[in-house]
Amino acid sequence: MRKCNLFRGALLIILCLAVALVFGCGKKPVMKEEMGVIVKEPVQEKAETAVPSETAIQEERLKEKERQEKERVIQEAASFTDIYFEFDQYDLTAAARETLKQHADWLLANPGFDVLVEGHCDERGTAEYNLALGERRAGAARDYLLSLGMEAGRVTTISYGEELPLDPSHDEAAWAKNRRAHFVVTPSK
Amino acid sequence: MMKRTGLVVCFLLSILYLPLPAPGKVYIDILSPAFQKFPIALPDFIPLDGADRETPLLVEIPGRLSDALGMTGFFRTIDRKAYFESSQTPEEEVRFSDWRVIGAEFLVKGGVLQDGDTLSIEFRLYDVVEGKLLAGKRYTGKKGDEKTMVYRFAGEILEALTGSRGVFDTEIAFTGKKNRVSEIYTIEFDGSNFRKRTNNGTITLLSRWSVDGSKIAYTAYTRGNPDLYLLNLPTGETKRLRHERGLNLTGGWSPDGRKMLVVSSRDGNEEIYTLEVDTGSFVRLTNDPAIDVSPTWSSDGKQIAFVSNRSGSPQIFIMDEDGSRVRRATFQGSYNTSPAWSPAGSRIAYEGRTGGQFQIFTMDVNGGNTTQLTYEDGGAESPAWSPDGRFIAFQGKKNGRGSICVINANGLNLRVLYGGADLDAVSPAWSPHLNLY
Repeated sequence: MRKCNLFRGALLIILCLAVALVFGCGKKPVMKEEMGVIVKEPVQEKAETAVPSETAIQEERLKEKERQEKERVIQEAASFTDIYFEFDQYDLTAAARETLKQHADWLLANPGFDVLVEGHCDERGTAEYNLALGERRAGAARDYLLSLGMEAGRVTTISYGEELPLDPSHDEAAWAKNRRAHFVVTPSK
Repeated sequence: MMKRTGLVVCFLLSILYLPLPAPGKVYIDILSPAFQKFPIALPDFIPLDGADRETPLLVEIPGRLSDALGMTGFFRTIDRKAYFESSQTPEEEVRFSDWRVIGAEFLVKGGVLQDGDTLSIEFRLYDVVEGKLLAGKRYTGKKGDEKTMVYRFAGEILEALTGSRGVFDTEIAFTGKKNRVSEIYTIEFDGSNFRKRTNNGTITLLSRWSVDGSKIAYTAYTRGNPDLYLLNLPTGETKRLRHERGLNLTGGWSPDGRKMLVVSSRDGNEEIYTLEVDTGSFVRLTNDPAIDVSPTWSSDGKQIAFVSNRSGSPQIFIMDEDGSRVRRATFQGSYNTSPAWSPAGSRIAYEGRTGGQFQIFTMDVNGGNTTQLTYEDGGAESPAWSPDGRFIAFQGKKNGRGSICVINANGLNLRVLYGGADLDAVSPAWSPHLNLY
């Protein structure tokens, strides 16, 4: 043990000597001192002009990112797919429930948006019955969204019955496209 | 409704042998399948009191009368080529044998007097078989009143032969759609006077005439929601009657004109209510989680027919006016809707799905005696009775678009009032008598 302590002590002394050597050597200062002229490096001035432009660049980048983000959200909001129904039915099919689940996920992740559910029918049957049927279809979609956690205040409904068909043709293919609920997503007021 | 006949004054001819309608007269049932059209002769009229012999009205007036009678589907005008020459004055005795022999049962003779702007037309209706005068009238008015005079006397003929005056003085309202906008239009029974009545620039539908014919109730999305409006036709003013979020749909008017049936979803699902128009009092009638729509009153105001899918598919139901005693009326077919109660009260017209399309049917109020009325290629929907119960307007199809058609209540004599033109025409509603002629 006495041997280690000795060794340690010697190392310390050498270290101190080395430090003294380094600092004692008189390292040249940053500021140059020349005869009669003191040239200050314009560090201060550079700092003043660099900070605004740096901020401006950062702000610009942030705005661009926000804009792209907003556009992406708007595009996603506009691309909510319709769900479809059988003739004279307002039950949700499995495919409809799947689509509604995707819509609910998006809406829950984007709380700044509300959704209006439109209920539509094909042209067969009376206008009145189809207004009621459209209301049921919108209501069924709304109820399901609420059951997935959507707040009631964010989902409204309206029925257009057979009045606004997507496809004005008079065949089975057109009718199937028209029996739908359509989603209009808008920023909350 | 405005009177278009302000200057027409009619003087009853005081003919000694003019018979009054016999009390308890039995009229031929013109809607029975056995009915044969009345064969009628309408020779040229003659100039009265030495007027200009060459006026085209001498041919035109009986021609227009023939057209008007033909429109009803109850008359068959005998070809003029078969008539014997006849240049009698109105006062001479009619040679009934001349007319019997060509198959006529009825005959109209008349005369025209034009004096400057004044116009007088005299009409006489004869029963050729019994050899007697049934009706005579002389109308005096202005040039331009010809149509009014012709329609008035057509009404006299119908009254004498069928017991009621006919519906020349009525209009049919309907929804005309184009480019995702719809408005209310009206057209007269003869297809004339086509007019646009609303200017909402949005979806406007389900027009219902008030009992006195002065107003039309409708539903429109003017403020983004299907709200209930009342249009005052003479003033053009529109009043918003109901506007709760959700459906506010028009229904039939009560016979006393004070209440309207309304479909509202305010209580969570589509139910039927009555709205007292003056007070706004709103009373619920149905209480069922199913869809309940299309309510319409019976002509005595004691019952209401409506559509419900409470038994699994859209069917027609009937209830008492207070909402009690709900019972199902249609049992044939999977989709029956759009009930319309006949003015006489014994039949209900509706649209029923058959062969993948809708056609018009009629049935007894208790659901029996179902008769298919139309067999249209493009289908037929939305029946509406004329106020005399003899005609039914409906929505047909022409060139892929909705058209407004009229058919006799026995399924014969189909006429297209509006079709194949600019608008997609749907949902006809027949006015009451409007005193147009």
